[in-house]
Amino acid sequence: MVIKAVWIIVLPLIALVIGIFFLGLSRKVIARIQRRYGPPIYQPIIDIIKLVNQESISHGRIFDMGVILSLAGSIVLVLFIPFGGIAPLATSGDLLVVIYLMLLAPLGIALSGGEAANPNTSIGISRKMMLALGYEVPFLFAILAVMTYYKTTSLLEIVKAQQSSWWGVIYLPLPAIAYFMILPAMLGIRPFDIVSAPQEIASGPAVEYGGRYLALTTIQHGFHMFIGIGLFVNLFLGGGNPLIFFVKMLVIFILGLFINAVFPRLRIDQAIKYCWKWPAILALAGLIIARIV
Amino acid sequence: MDRTSIRKWLKVPDKMGQKYSLWVVYFCTGCGVIEIPPVITSRWDAERFGVIPVATSRQANLFLITGYVSVKTLRAIIRTYEQMPEPKYTVGFGSCPINGGMYWDSYNTIKHLDKYVPIDGWIAGCMPRPEAIFIAVTHLWTMIDKGMATGYIKYKENYEYYRNNQEKVLGGLDWPPLYSVKK
Repeated sequence: MVIKAVWIIVLPLIALVIGIFFLGLSRKVIARIQRRYGPPIYQPIIDIIKLVNQESISHGRIFDMGVILSLAGSIVLVLFIPFGGIAPLATSGDLLVVIYLMLLAPLGIALSGGEAANPNTSIGISRKMMLALGYEVPFLFAILAVMTYYKTTSLLEIVKAQQSSWWGVIYLPLPAIAYFMILPAMLGIRPFDIVSAPQEIASGPAVEYGGRYLALTTIQHGFHMFIGIGLFVNLFLGGGNPLIFFVKMLVIFILGLFINAVFPRLRIDQAIKYCWKWPAILALAGLIIARIV
Repeated sequence: MDRTSIRKWLKVPDKMGQKYSLWVVYFCTGCGVIEIPPVITSRWDAERFGVIPVATSRQANLFLITGYVSVKTLRAIIRTYEQMPEPKYTVGFGSCPINGGMYWDSYNTIKHLDKYVPIDGWIAGCMPRPEAIFIAVTHLWTMIDKGMATGYIKYKENYEYYRNNQEKVLGGLDWPPLYSVKK
């Protein structure tokens, strides 16, 4: 009981450190791919320290609450994702809880941005919801395939089943590929950074954020990185102890970064078309194969 | 560059944060903005000093005014400056914001920008090279360190003066004063 309570506090901190590390690493790796020197890896920490010490301009109570709601949703979600076999709130149906809670973060940002009443924010939110609509379909198919194959909705049991035999990616290659194809859309990185396109809609939902709001949004983004990649490692790459889990996350993240650094941004209609076409078809085929086998 | 000195980070975290994380709004008023793309891309890479361009004034803390300022754009400059969260720093780039430059006898160009918004530093030249922006950034670091980059405090203290000047040249402003004006 006490150990569980300690993990509930410690696990979000670990996720925070890993998420911030990923944010810093992404800037450095992209800089090196573009033949720049790039900022130091701890640059996001400097940014957060600066943002916390800045004046924060509020636009109303929902504006404050929405940011906190999205951050809280991400922190709760972290507790359900096993980090190398450690999942303090793990129950029998936590994969279903994960699917539900995934939408809490965009919802909080949408509430908060609605209060700001900036036209760029509205466009950004509508794009975010459209994109969520796009990637949730293949995401659901992929997760249903995993659930059908392992005949359980518990993430811990899925990880355990993979450790006694081969990794899930060997048995379920199609859903794994589909998940990896929509991973940039889930993390909001290029070619799917339609939501926060700074050149088109002035960084989208974050238009009116300054100071502490931006700091909280950055931290939430770090958590979001941890969740999206952590879920992939749990479902298809077989978990492992915390260190191995971290290495697997790093490999997946850097693969995603290469895509991020090279490709230009898609339009929202192209993104939806892409999400509902190839990843959805692959994931659905994987689901049917998993059902037959 | 004392970015790695942990003792200083513990002593003055706010100053250190503002020094090494300057997020810039580049105000593209004139030809000066042509020097910005090489600064932020691979050739000179301002990101290694933590200087990145941002899209909105709410996220920025450095305001770089590049090129001449016409009366029409002054309105936008004032709005952008007032929307930025404190502490904020302003740098005028090129000779036009300093004294009008080659537009010294133009009827429609602002000659002395620091009458309307406080400027922390100038980069002289027509055009300044991209290296001049890095020199300006390092100067700004020294000024932040010594507590000399106080343009935003000056703006607050002398708001009446600035507001009067703004109203005089623009013929009235259609937004309420940022700070209370003593009448």
